[in-house]
Amino acid sequence: MAIYLLVRILGGVVTLFCVSALAFFATALAPGNPAAVLLGNLATPERIAAVTEQMGLDKPLPIRYAIWLKEMLQGNLGTSNLSFKPVNDLVLAALPPTLELAALSLALAVVIAIPMGLILAQNRDRWWTRPLSGLVTLGISVPGFWVGLLLIVVFSMTFKLLPSGGYVPMTRSVSGNLRAMILPVLTLAIYLIPSLVRFVRVTAANVLREDYIDTARAKGAGAWRILLQHVAPNTLIPTITYIGLQLGVLISGAIVIEIIFSIPGLGRLGMNAVLNRDYPVIQGVVLLAATGYVVVNLLIDLAYSLIDPRIRTR
Amino acid sequence: MTEISAPARPQRGAVAYILRRSPVAALLVALFLIAALLGPWLAPHSMTDTNLGQALQPPNATYWLGTDALGRDVLSRLLGSAGIAAQAFLIVVLTGGVLGTLFGLVAGGIGGLTDLVLSRVIEILQGFPTVLVAIVIVALLSPSLTNAMIAVGLAAVPDFARVARGVAIQLREREFIQAARGLGMGEMRILASEVLPNMVGPLIIIASFDGAQAIMWEAALSFLGLGVQPPYPSFGSMLREAQNFLAIQPSLAITVGLTVSAIILGLNLLGDGLSDYYDRSDK
Repeated sequence: MAIYLLVRILGGVVTLFCVSALAFFATALAPGNPAAVLLGNLATPERIAAVTEQMGLDKPLPIRYAIWLKEMLQGNLGTSNLSFKPVNDLVLAALPPTLELAALSLALAVVIAIPMGLILAQNRDRWWTRPLSGLVTLGISVPGFWVGLLLIVVFSMTFKLLPSGGYVPMTRSVSGNLRAMILPVLTLAIYLIPSLVRFVRVTAANVLREDYIDTARAKGAGAWRILLQHVAPNTLIPTITYIGLQLGVLISGAIVIEIIFSIPGLGRLGMNAVLNRDYPVIQGVVLLAATGYVVVNLLIDLAYSLIDPRIRTR
Repeated sequence: MTEISAPARPQRGAVAYILRRSPVAALLVALFLIAALLGPWLAPHSMTDTNLGQALQPPNATYWLGTDALGRDVLSRLLGSAGIAAQAFLIVVLTGGVLGTLFGLVAGGIGGLTDLVLSRVIEILQGFPTVLVAIVIVALLSPSLTNAMIAVGLAAVPDFARVARGVAIQLREREFIQAARGLGMGEMRILASEVLPNMVGPLIIIASFDGAQAIMWEAALSFLGLGVQPPYPSFGSMLREAQNFLAIQPSLAITVGLTVSAIILGLNLLGDGLSDYYDRSDK
């Protein structure tokens, strides 16, 4: 168990190290001297040279990377080239909307998709599952952000029921916060549900073919009892792994949806930074998102090594 | 080498099977191919020339699907977008397919420590947020279709690698491989000439699913401004422009979205049909 833990944690650290190197070198090698960008209209060769030295840009790349890494490890993400605010503050301010969007959407998707997948698998020979399965294929084929645009047209513009965007902090108004979140959360959930239903349906269908299901049936267990007591638990572990792997999709989806609904989250911060070549902010956003991705996957791995003892011994 | 060649799989029947079993997929993919290949010749108007006097026209005899906010013909721009989508498909399937197949083939075919290391790399790549990779690549280079699609192609590497590795492991101990080894063929040559041809079917299935994803990502990344740049049309950049006029002309966003959804649906159905076909011929 200890070795298993160690290998997983080591793997996570290696991943983050690679991401940090990628984020650093990608931005360090990008065209344009940050000192010149920083000075803007005030740039003269002397000033650029002075600022270059001040920023440590004249040192060799590996040394700059080491210095940068040291700052990162101490939790200092640097200063924005654009607003001159500490990246830490910018990122921390952008985190709550993104987390709220991602968490609510995932929760909604799981609550709808898992029962739907189980029921589709159990009734796979019935006629009424065919149109539902067709709907799932259709759902996989529709771009999520386009669904968001349609929801805005229907609910904000035609019926004027819900705001078409923006973000109200929880601390200011809980109901205002939730009202503004309905459409973004719905959009992201609709994007996540089809592939999750598909996965649960296939996994559950495989479980239903196991011998122990026949045994349970022979012993007189009803359809619902088999589904809830035997199929659901055995479908759950692969499904949790799958959700962990889908975390990247969740992060990507949240970024796109923040742009559509003007939510001031990490995605918007990152996109604005890219369009303005604000490298410290890009690095901060990429590192934070990557850390979240690695840590959650690690936690999932650990969680089911606790649930399922067979995994530990592998 | 004919005497030890691998048991051939029926590849030729695939087209007939798709035409018979999923005509919708065949129709949608055929329309997409026609639009992508012949778009520039079929387009009734210029894809990029603006004409402000004709802005936001509803569908009419001159402009069959209406015009956008700059007076450009929506039908012509959709045809151009189909070409861009086909390019996105090719870039992703080539990057992901070549790198992924190579990774999987070597990992599964050689095994041991090589497999362990490569599998770990594949695992790390898998599921890493595509938008983040795109942001990093675009920050390093510049926003363009190719740069954005390379990010999506990298995300597709694990899919191809997993399939290639699985087939390679399955085949490693089969008789015809042993025979090739007995004849003194090197491992790399065996992988290339004996194992690779046997994974074409599964790889085509992955290519159609990941190609569908590629078109969706092209739309998303161009919508964000990371991909195709104005004035050139793409499904994503058209939706980005349509978003500003949702209140005045929602039909614009609806038309573009329906078109791109139909293409993606066609490719997904094609993937489903091909999976059925190869499942069947396995038995």
